[in-house]
Amino acid sequence: MIKILHLYYDLLNLYGENANTKALVNRLEKQKEKVKVDFKSVGDDIKINDYDFIYVGSGSLESMKIAKNDFKRLVKDIKKYINDNKIILATGNSIELFEGILDYKTQEIGFRIVGDQVFECDLIKKLVIGFQNRTSVVVNNNEESLFTVKTGCGYDPKETKEGIRHNNFFGTYLLGPLLIRNPYFLEYILKILLANKNIKYKKVNEDVSYAAYEEYLENFVYNKK
Amino acid sequence: MKVFIAILINKMITLACKLFKFNGTQYPGAFVQDHIDNHILDKIKYPRITIAVTGSAGKGSACILIKHILEDAGYTVALNETGSNGINGATSMILNNCTLTGKFKKDVLLVECDEQHLKLIWRKVKPKFLLITNITRDQPTRNYMPENIFNQISSVITKDMHLVINGDDPILSRLTLTHKGKISTFSIDKMSDDIKKPLLNNIDFAYCPICNKKLKYSYYHYGHLGKFECPNHDFSNPKIDYLATKVDLEKQNIKINNKDVYINKNVIYAAYATVGAYAMCNTVGVDEETILSALNNDKVPNSLGKEFEYKDHKIVMLETKNENNLSYYQGCKYIREQKGLKSVIMGFEKVSKRYKDSDLSWLYDINFELLNDKNIDKIFVFGRFKYNIATRLEFAGIEKKKIVFIDDASQILDIAVQKTKGDIYTMIWYDMVDTVLSKVGA
Repeated sequence: MIKILHLYYDLLNLYGENANTKALVNRLEKQKEKVKVDFKSVGDDIKINDYDFIYVGSGSLESMKIAKNDFKRLVKDIKKYINDNKIILATGNSIELFEGILDYKTQEIGFRIVGDQVFECDLIKKLVIGFQNRTSVVVNNNEESLFTVKTGCGYDPKETKEGIRHNNFFGTYLLGPLLIRNPYFLEYILKILLANKNIKYKKVNEDVSYAAYEEYLENFVYNKK
Repeated sequence: MKVFIAILINKMITLACKLFKFNGTQYPGAFVQDHIDNHILDKIKYPRITIAVTGSAGKGSACILIKHILEDAGYTVALNETGSNGINGATSMILNNCTLTGKFKKDVLLVECDEQHLKLIWRKVKPKFLLITNITRDQPTRNYMPENIFNQISSVITKDMHLVINGDDPILSRLTLTHKGKISTFSIDKMSDDIKKPLLNNIDFAYCPICNKKLKYSYYHYGHLGKFECPNHDFSNPKIDYLATKVDLEKQNIKINNKDVYINKNVIYAAYATVGAYAMCNTVGVDEETILSALNNDKVPNSLGKEFEYKDHKIVMLETKNENNLSYYQGCKYIREQKGLKSVIMGFEKVSKRYKDSDLSWLYDINFELLNDKNIDKIFVFGRFKYNIATRLEFAGIEKKKIVFIDDASQILDIAVQKTKGDIYTMIWYDMVDTVLSKVGA
């Protein structure tokens, strides 16, 4: 049984981000694996180490304050979880929750960074596409980055790098259905998740999300209209 | 002198637009704002009754009803056309209704205001009455988040303003905690098809703004609109002044103060528009009898949506807005509730009217699961995002064999009528409506 935690599901949920856990469940079921998703939030009893994958999404500024306040109680367990090479995916401004646990800071900038993003990703040797809509930036980063900006904005507008990686922590300002829009990145995450459980990844037929990914690249990256 | 010139030029450009059959609802105001005086609206002698209507959805429908009721009550009313609800549209309309000396000629100024433009339209002079329909996630590229829309609207509110707000909306209900002036509230009572728990965990306002505890909902009408209370009793729906009860969408009827009121479409947003307009007009001073007569005897047709016959199929074109999950939700719910075999057409070429960006996150905030229905025969998808739409539909559990990809949007109705029996419902973004209808002549 693979256990997934959608953390602050009811608070950090601004951009259809329930899609990311759905994507994982869908792919795990295609691998014939049993999977369970727990939805936990402020004040809930949460045993971080019980999980194989933790997902956190974007929230409004007020919601983020509430989440940050609650998150303090989980910091120690989260540190251990990351050190144990377990997987966390943080999208949008939820990257702010992990500052201090990992070696970077975030700060509000008083203006909005918004738009389509196309990034290069060495991990998968494929482009990663998505969207940003935020008013914070990452500064003083001493962690590995996840992406190199092809078009769009780095974690700081002055940087050409985006995303944070530390062991199997993946944090990015890309928001929304990241794992559905990027089926190859999803495959990559899935392989780590299965490897962590000593399960062999089985290649399955590509679904329509691959066509959507290619169609986007065709229309908006290769033949920009 | 500047006022005189601004009004004269506004009227002349409007006349020229009419002569050359050019849409003149925005351009005259844009010219005046850009080239003559961008504070012109502060210099007008306004009538005693000035009403602004704003919110994420439903403001156009509410305005049409308010205008209708006020006119039945004997007032003369000026209203900007739906869609021209920014500073330019408002300026064109206001100046066209002024004398050359800047005196507003009608009894009532009623302005449908885009949420972002509210503060531009009412910079110095404020409306006496402000109706806010709801605040939901809507066009995040433009509006960022509901909290941002709330802050923008709040920045215009003064203590002299009489607010009329949707009491089912917890975001708007926050105004009852801070507003020093008068507030009237409207609401829809519990309905038979309310939901207990949102399927997609994407409620726009789930926590108490005072103690930060999770709000407990007895029911949701849709989105975050419903009956809520903080477990610490710090925050709940405000006391409701105008309550729509016994909502019967099929019969297009609600009750207000136990009296039957006609709603001009069989959907909940029509019920909200009606009770909101009722609340506003009664607040302004129109008596109940006149309001009921205007709504029940002198019915206003709902211009949203279009129905026609094509090759023995009923085609129903639903109004759905991209980047607005609740707009699509209502479309999906409407389709689900219709009887008999049916098919759906969906697609768009551009995500946004205003931007080149292609945020697709909102597709995953829509309950497309409602289309996972045995009575739905086919779903035809087209446009540059057809595979994204199909992916979302598959995640909603819809069988692959029901999803049909169409490359040429102008052929879609012909293909749809060939491949399916029953009624056809469309959820098409504005950019493709003409293409889809091009061979139909509808």
